[in-house]
Amino acid sequence: MEFAPICVYLVISLLFSLILIGVSFLFASSSNSAYPEKLSAYECGFDPFDDARSRFDIRFYLVSILFIIFDLEVTFLFPWAVSLNKIGLFGFWSMIVFLFILTIGFLYEWKKGALDWE
Amino acid sequence: MFEHDFLALFPEIFLINATIILLIYGVVFSTSKKYDYPPLVCNVSWLGLLSVLITILLIASSAPLTVANLFYNNLIIDNFTYFCQIFLLISTASTVVMCLGYFKEESLNAFESIVLILLSTCSMLFMISAYDLIAMYLAIELQSLCFYVIAASKRDSEFSTEAGLKYFILGAFSSGILLFGCSMIYGFTGVTNFEELAKIFTGYEITLFGAQSSGIFMGILFIAVGFLSKITAVPFHMWAPDVYEGSPTLVTAFFSIAPKISILANMLRVFIYSFYDPTWQQLFFFCSIASMILGALAAMAQNKVKRLLAYSSIGHVGYLFIGFSCGTIEGIQSLLIGVFIYVLMTINVFAVVLALRQNRFKYIADLGALAKTNPILAITLSIIMFSYAGIPPLAGFCSKFYLFFAALGCGSYLLALIGVVTSVISCFYYIRFVKIMYFDTPKKWILYKPMDREKSLLLAITLFLISFFFSYPSLVFLITHQMALSLCL
Repeated sequence: MEFAPICVYLVISLLFSLILIGVSFLFASSSNSAYPEKLSAYECGFDPFDDARSRFDIRFYLVSILFIIFDLEVTFLFPWAVSLNKIGLFGFWSMIVFLFILTIGFLYEWKKGALDWE
Repeated sequence: MFEHDFLALFPEIFLINATIILLIYGVVFSTSKKYDYPPLVCNVSWLGLLSVLITILLIASSAPLTVANLFYNNLIIDNFTYFCQIFLLISTASTVVMCLGYFKEESLNAFESIVLILLSTCSMLFMISAYDLIAMYLAIELQSLCFYVIAASKRDSEFSTEAGLKYFILGAFSSGILLFGCSMIYGFTGVTNFEELAKIFTGYEITLFGAQSSGIFMGILFIAVGFLSKITAVPFHMWAPDVYEGSPTLVTAFFSIAPKISILANMLRVFIYSFYDPTWQQLFFFCSIASMILGALAAMAQNKVKRLLAYSSIGHVGYLFIGFSCGTIEGIQSLLIGVFIYVLMTINVFAVVLALRQNRFKYIADLGALAKTNPILAITLSIIMFSYAGIPPLAGFCSKFYLFFAALGCGSYLLALIGVVTSVISCFYYIRFVKIMYFDTPKKWILYKPMDREKSLLLAITLFLISFFFSYPSLVFLITHQMALSLCL
């Protein structure tokens, strides 16, 4: 039931942002069509030199994969953190084993150089 | 709380720790400037072999006298898992032995493939001893994830990338089907444990249009389909030839040896112990017939070695399923004997394929005049091919004979008939190897490099076992009988 105010909040913020966008349309001058240059891509005043396509850097991909892995780690940490006083020492050490295995993975990618951005 | 459980799980714990240490060792030293960035793959694979052997010792030394359920019934240890795990580890060890020379020659500088092989071995150990749908699924997924990576491990080869992608998509799809089956079963029974499922399903007429059981029927059906596509039985075999052909040869060898054992062990646990019911028997009956026929007919048209071996393994899965679809103790025992002999033969034939490495041994025709250039290897390959085909004094004959015998014993004469006919048909392409080696004179003579000592030892041992299996089969028969008994009783 706590989600109802959040839903209302979402709708209201959507409306509010639409209003903010719409107001500038209402009051802006419509002289855009007079200057077609205004619609061209901005590249420091020059015309674009070459094709806009470029080879995708694999490091972005690596970083996002690592983010997914450690994001999942955090998902596992939440219930553990909340119930730590109930699960005792055994629960504590099970999570430490999990974290240890993840740390091994982290160490691997560190030594492999997946985190270097040079 | 779990102190005895950890003791019973010691081999797995050891293997995981060894894998972690190897991973750290490999990554630290292969990126170290001080040692001039050494390629560590041979080193790591020797150490990996050592740790697999130690794991075998650990498992073997803790022979279970009774059944033990571990970790809230998630895992089980009994005679069946004990022998299956030892057998799995032996076959992994022989795969690692096979690929030692491969790494040296191919200069494949990725020690991670050995680490992944060890990790998937560990997950297969868990798979064999899984006693819960969730534990089973998790083990299968860990194994498949490792397999996807090593299938695509050769990044500069288009075939390997394609194989990895295909394997990943179809493997994920079949895992999804398996998981859907598990959730249907859980939704309609409320339990995931195999023992409790067995209790629920005893004497429970599972029919498609039963009052309570249509959901359970669908669950069993989906689980069966998931498993059948994991083990490349026929209507769900599409990925196997491409993946087997595309991935690097040592990976193909590993794929066609190790997962067969673990998946069959898991299937036996699920279908014989938990869902023991004639509903799935017809499905396996159909798959067995279809795999035998397709394995025999499609392999005839193949020119490439690895593709032919893929179809031959599909055919052999069909023969093994004869034992499955009987569901009797003799059937299960003959299936286990069949797996044992199939794995022996496959280790041998892949050791030969890996030994013939000069200028990319790809087509069967490249074997021309091997009888002149390397007569002993030619004899070895001929014996293996005769054994695959099921020519009498060899091990392959014993396995097929016992499977057909079990089929006759449980009254499915059709299976035995089709099995005999397809194995006669498959003689054609197995014996074609012999014809090419002994009677063809190729235009271009290919001289292969001599193989290394590890591979020749492996070949010698497996060839000896295959040739002289018939002289002392009682050990294997006793062990498999004990396995079948511990599964059924």
